Amino acid sequence: MKNDRSRISVEFLGKRAATPLVLPAGIMGMTWSGMKYTWENGCGIITSKSLTMEPRKGHAGPVIAEFEGGMLNCMGLCNPGIEEGLAEVNEFRKFYEVPVIVSIFATTIDDFLTLTQKVNESRGDFVELNLSCPNVSDEYGLPLAASKIKVAEIVSAVKMVSKIPVIAKLSPNVSGLTEICTAAEAAGADALCLINTLGPGMLIDIDLQRSVLSNRTGGMSGPCVKPVALRAVFEAYSRVKIPIIGTGGVSNGRDAVEMLMAGASLVGVGSALYEGGIGIFEQINQDILTYMDQYGYGTITDIPRLEKM
Amino acid sequence: MLKRITLPVAEIVNENETIRTFYFEKKLGALPGQFIMLSDLVTGEKPFSISECESGYFGVTIKKLGTFTQALFEKKPGDLLSYRGAYGSSFSISGRNVLLVGGGYATPPLYYLSKELLKAGAELTVVNGARSKKELVFCERFSNLSLSYQRITDAGCLGRAGSSVDIAQVLLEENHYDMVYVSGPELMMRAMRNLLQNYPELNYEFLFERYMKCAIGICGNCTIDPLGIRLCVEGPVLARDKIVQLTEFGEYHRNAAGIKEYF
Repeated sequence: MKNDRSRISVEFLGKRAATPLVLPAGIMGMTWSGMKYTWENGCGIITSKSLTMEPRKGHAGPVIAEFEGGMLNCMGLCNPGIEEGLAEVNEFRKFYEVPVIVSIFATTIDDFLTLTQKVNESRGDFVELNLSCPNVSDEYGLPLAASKIKVAEIVSAVKMVSKIPVIAKLSPNVSGLTEICTAAEAAGADALCLINTLGPGMLIDIDLQRSVLSNRTGGMSGPCVKPVALRAVFEAYSRVKIPIIGTGGVSNGRDAVEMLMAGASLVGVGSALYEGGIGIFEQINQDILTYMDQYGYGTITDIPRLEKM
Repeated sequence: MLKRITLPVAEIVNENETIRTFYFEKKLGALPGQFIMLSDLVTGEKPFSISECESGYFGVTIKKLGTFTQALFEKKPGDLLSYRGAYGSSFSISGRNVLLVGGGYATPPLYYLSKELLKAGAELTVVNGARSKKELVFCERFSNLSLSYQRITDAGCLGRAGSSVDIAQVLLEENHYDMVYVSGPELMMRAMRNLLQNYPELNYEFLFERYMKCAIGICGNCTIDPLGIRLCVEGPVLARDKIVQLTEFGEYHRNAAGIKEYF
């Protein structure tokens, strides 16, 4: 019974995920084989890198900086562009019956629509709108997710065009997050993904007397962001009816159960790959099963959510 | 583990016009084949394999290729640089009669490996190949170790013309080795893989190079097809069982944007 993986399988927007774990955008999802490797190791749904109209090399290094509670990154949306990126998705999806979320990033509605039309022609199962990258404000200004009006505009425009479910990936670095969540839902979003990285933050090398990250600042992830992610997911869960992918600081099975109790339907695992290695996904799956056994839950959906606010 | 250390460069050795070894006085505790991410926190950050590692110091051998390495070449002893690591998989220290085959500026990591293999009591034959005599590096260091050492250049300036693979072919025919280690340009390593197909019982390990950004297994830039393993974590050293499965090896790699570039 304990190792029966079907107990943690989750139905999400009409697709079946073998496990509740989601590889979030930006992590490992650059190549088809990277997607395969992550799935083989226990991830249920794979998100591609955020794909843009043109290829992006991202920021120069260092793009990663560690501190006591987690890490900062300023990858800078590196990706091979929508055409090549979808080719990687298609290559993976051609051989594996594993749901793939295609993440897209743009700064105008027109570009979001062009990208969505291309995703329509791919084997991707869902499209996720990255409205919340914290690492390109030098180029593009504040993330779109800071404005509920812009979020609603983009979501509703994309919904008109998209042939597959639309997920809005939102930022915790805003005031009035729940209003933005309800605006996304009202505009037709099929699901939310919460949260993108926190901050951004900054670290300084006092010997070289420079910021550690090449871009000076970077989005914060890792164990330290979990409480913020839980709060964001719980507040959103209290206000919206659409499912939520809860991601942020989940490093073990108990963290994952916390995220489910906060109201998430699926749980993202990203930065934990660093400390936990590729085995982290299967470890979390097993830990969830252990928790379910401890409290007598037959399937993962039996795990209770907290009472809404 | 990812702790960054900033310290002065202790010494810089000119190997030739475009290759230098940077030494740092710090106990790194790296294994042969592992690498560090080195940065000036201004121009960039890149992975470099460890070419020497003793209890009180370590060195990385760097080829001047782009703007970042150019900036490194302007550094003098006493200037500060910042590193994190060491990262990645390492060469196994195994085999009694061992062949090491190096090519160009990828040879230096085999020097650290050689020293560790000698400590373990192995008999070593090292082949060092490069395009020209000037590009052959670490010759004196290898000559000072108690091992059989052969050099070769494409141009033949040392008496014979050819590649390190040509010498390896002869050595493999005439000797019985129980382990082969290779570090060189990818097309040279592919030629070694083809050559080693004739020796199905022989174990081998290669040191790979791919574009790396995070170096901690998160960004996915250095995954290799079709396995999807990350060369910064499961690599950069891969053994025969993995190498024979690689379809990307010697065909293409992905650049900083993740776009395939063919060799």
